[in-house]
Amino acid sequence: MKSWAGPALAAPATLWLTAAFAAPFAVVLLLSIQPGSDPFVHIALAPSAEQFRAIIADGFYSAVLLKTTALALGVCAVTALLGYPFALWIVSLKPRWRPLAISIVLVPLLVNVVVRSLGIELLLAPDGLINHGLSLLGLPRANHMLYNYGAVAVGLVQVFLPLMVLSLYDVLQANSPRVLEAARSLGASRTAQFFSVELPMSLPGLRAGLTFVFLMASTTYVSARMLGGKQVWTTGMLVWQDVLENLDAQFASALALIMTLIAIIASLAIALTASRLTPWLDYRPTRAWSMPRFLAVALDAFMPVLARLLIAIALVLLLLPLVLVFVQSFNDVPQAAMAGFRAFTFRWYAQLFDNGLYFDSFWVSLKLALATSLVTVLLAASAAFALVRTRFAGKAVVETFWMFPIALPQIAIGIGMLRLLQTFAALPAFLGLLAVHVTITLPFCIGLLRASVQQLDRTLEEAAESLGAGPLRRILLVILPTLAPGLAAAGIVALLLSFEEVTISSFLTTARMTTLPVRIYAEATYSLEPTVFAISSLLIAMTVIGMFLLGRVVRLDRVFSR
Amino acid sequence: MRHVRVAGRRQLHFMTISRRTFGRLVLGAGAAAPFCFARRALAAPKPGDELVVGIWGGIQERLVREHCEKPLGKKFSCKVNFVLGGTPERRARAYAERGRPSFDVIYLNIFESRQAVKDGVTQAATPAVPQYSHLVDIARLGGYGVAINPITIIYDKRKARVPVTSWKDLWNPEWKGRIAWPAFPAAEGAAGLLMTAKVWGGDERNIGVAFEKIKQLKPFAAISSSQDELYQMFDTGVCDIAIEFGSLSRKYGETRNPNLVIAMPVEGQAAALNVACITVGTANQKLAEEWINLHLSEPCMLAYAREMYYSPTVDNVRIPADLKPKLVSFAEAARLVDFDWSAVIHNQRAWTTRFNREIAG
Repeated sequence: MKSWAGPALAAPATLWLTAAFAAPFAVVLLLSIQPGSDPFVHIALAPSAEQFRAIIADGFYSAVLLKTTALALGVCAVTALLGYPFALWIVSLKPRWRPLAISIVLVPLLVNVVVRSLGIELLLAPDGLINHGLSLLGLPRANHMLYNYGAVAVGLVQVFLPLMVLSLYDVLQANSPRVLEAARSLGASRTAQFFSVELPMSLPGLRAGLTFVFLMASTTYVSARMLGGKQVWTTGMLVWQDVLENLDAQFASALALIMTLIAIIASLAIALTASRLTPWLDYRPTRAWSMPRFLAVALDAFMPVLARLLIAIALVLLLLPLVLVFVQSFNDVPQAAMAGFRAFTFRWYAQLFDNGLYFDSFWVSLKLALATSLVTVLLAASAAFALVRTRFAGKAVVETFWMFPIALPQIAIGIGMLRLLQTFAALPAFLGLLAVHVTITLPFCIGLLRASVQQLDRTLEEAAESLGAGPLRRILLVILPTLAPGLAAAGIVALLLSFEEVTISSFLTTARMTTLPVRIYAEATYSLEPTVFAISSLLIAMTVIGMFLLGRVVRLDRVFSR
Repeated sequence: MRHVRVAGRRQLHFMTISRRTFGRLVLGAGAAAPFCFARRALAAPKPGDELVVGIWGGIQERLVREHCEKPLGKKFSCKVNFVLGGTPERRARAYAERGRPSFDVIYLNIFESRQAVKDGVTQAATPAVPQYSHLVDIARLGGYGVAINPITIIYDKRKARVPVTSWKDLWNPEWKGRIAWPAFPAAEGAAGLLMTAKVWGGDERNIGVAFEKIKQLKPFAAISSSQDELYQMFDTGVCDIAIEFGSLSRKYGETRNPNLVIAMPVEGQAAALNVACITVGTANQKLAEEWINLHLSEPCMLAYAREMYYSPTVDNVRIPADLKPKLVSFAEAARLVDFDWSAVIHNQRAWTTRFNREIAG
């Protein structure tokens, strides 16, 4: 590679993030060092630590920061616990069933977080499905399952489990079956195979999954607001309240920066732990993992049952809220949040087709998601090649910068954008939304494509070169075909993340540019009718049909494999 | 340019121009420039003009589409674009865009609207809107009040030993652990806090009384942050008493909960209004005024009254007999308890933190 190749490949993603992320981040940074709480504060460069002092001095904020961190860690632990058996189950399926299993993971990602949280509400409500089940069994009802940390955790696990499963599946399916065969031939039981072979080899995937889940769970506020009922406080909710209700962007910015700091520390801790547990990846001496015999025997006895139980829980958690959404779309109740089936009706579908407003928003979301997907994949592919195939000064700094948008809470990017609205108002609304959606999806796609580029067989390119193929032919005939599954995976992830984004879009939405999630969120702020379930059910049906048709052309399981 | 006196008349000499004259011209042009903008803003609407309205989603959007958008489009061949969302998002954006708004009309609650006028974000109400002269006094503050929907106590009559007649009844032991207290700083939460202060000897400047009294009510059955959530709590028996908008609660009671009672406390119900506000700097001043006039027209007022029991704010609406007992009359509106919202806004951040820490947390 030429010396300029690295910077040239890194430039597009860097420039994009500089324009669309660094500017609002700089505003947040500057706001956090302004004193007072004047909503029209003129930003001065003389720093003041007033906001940070106020946060640190107030035990309430420290407690919420701690509780949010604990909640995110708990969600990480549960998603990992459920994600492992689920990902292993998908890997163990026959190839023709894998696309269906992958669809089960992907479909929830397409359903708006407000609707998914409503699905959890319908499950946990005092007259929800679980309590109906308990009544049928003659057991006492559990009327306090909602509006506590448990409910929020269940909601967050449901929202983030797909990300964990995809991260784990990605590495687990790439393991050579011969490694497991070797373990079996040496007498390892199924449990021993998992703990001695599959678990260590899947740690890079676990690291990616834990990082994504922690960062997103620690900055959440929509699910926390809905399922916590204002009795559960997360830092994201406090930032939302300060910036929007109290119009105190200075304090909110300082709080958002502390959240970012915690997120960075957690990411580094996860990376460090993963690195120490996987010395072979850095060619450091490795000690074999082993477990006492009695433990292996004990685990062999109950692990199969436990694994099946965890798979069943994961399936129920992913699918049951969606089933409830589908059932509720035919329920003749005046409000979406009302649990219990009253009477069958097509009214919500009729209302949906009558006013057409949801469909207008659907088209806006679809166009935006497709454009985001295309731009993100182009930028991420270039960035991935820069990371894997080139060396250049400042590479580590650039890589950290690319991952930064995940660490900063989306609500904080919203704060920055609010301040930059005067500038952004001059931009076409679609471009403004596209800039931000690409910023959000880019780190995920760089992560995915980096792994895909690492897996490319360089000998194929060398063979093509030795046969006289120039750079362009090598790219078109060798690299692109082999990279296609990775590009498709990154494209689908970008499409799904963009399609359901609501946090920043609700700040940037304009009269002509109301996305579907923003419309649903807007209605939820007043009174949500079950029409929202009708459009969500149609989306689920369309996704399943789309996946089925796509599955005839592309093997979806391979799309999500390196 | 220089003035030259020729034969007793002033003539203009175009060949040269002094620095002083040039300076005067620049100053004059600068002084005249705002009139150009004003002329544009106040110009009659043209076909193809676009009005941007920020409003809540759901039924509110449907009602204004039917009763404001359609007739406005018919009259001026203009287009109306809606930005949907909750009041906080809308208000934060309007503040961020002060002076160069992307909204022409935004809908706010009572205390946010009055402060927005003081902060130069939205305009005060003026007779430029023909229906202004028919507005009740309370609806002329902070913009154009379009709906009176006071906040009061609502409760399940089966759980009440005696009917609730005072805000102080919330402190009766029978309601311990059964109250869903509204979150602050939402309108219901502000009303709950301020009414508590009022009935227990405090006020906007002595709010500590209210916090101490509310703490005595703990543990709460729940902290409510939306009507949907609260009505679900009533449906499922999570709570038996709460503080909420009377209008929407009446609709809920009629359609879903026949045991719900909307209390009429002796101290009065707390004033609350939905207010339509024209932004400062709008490029569509005339169209925005027409929009608000349509919102204040009889068809729109009656549609709101019929669908949501929102009481009209203008006196030239003939209210059908079946609706009258369910709405707030002008005489009743005058007795609603209003507050010093400037003091509330000034202390909002401190009260919110205290509420989160001492009441909700």
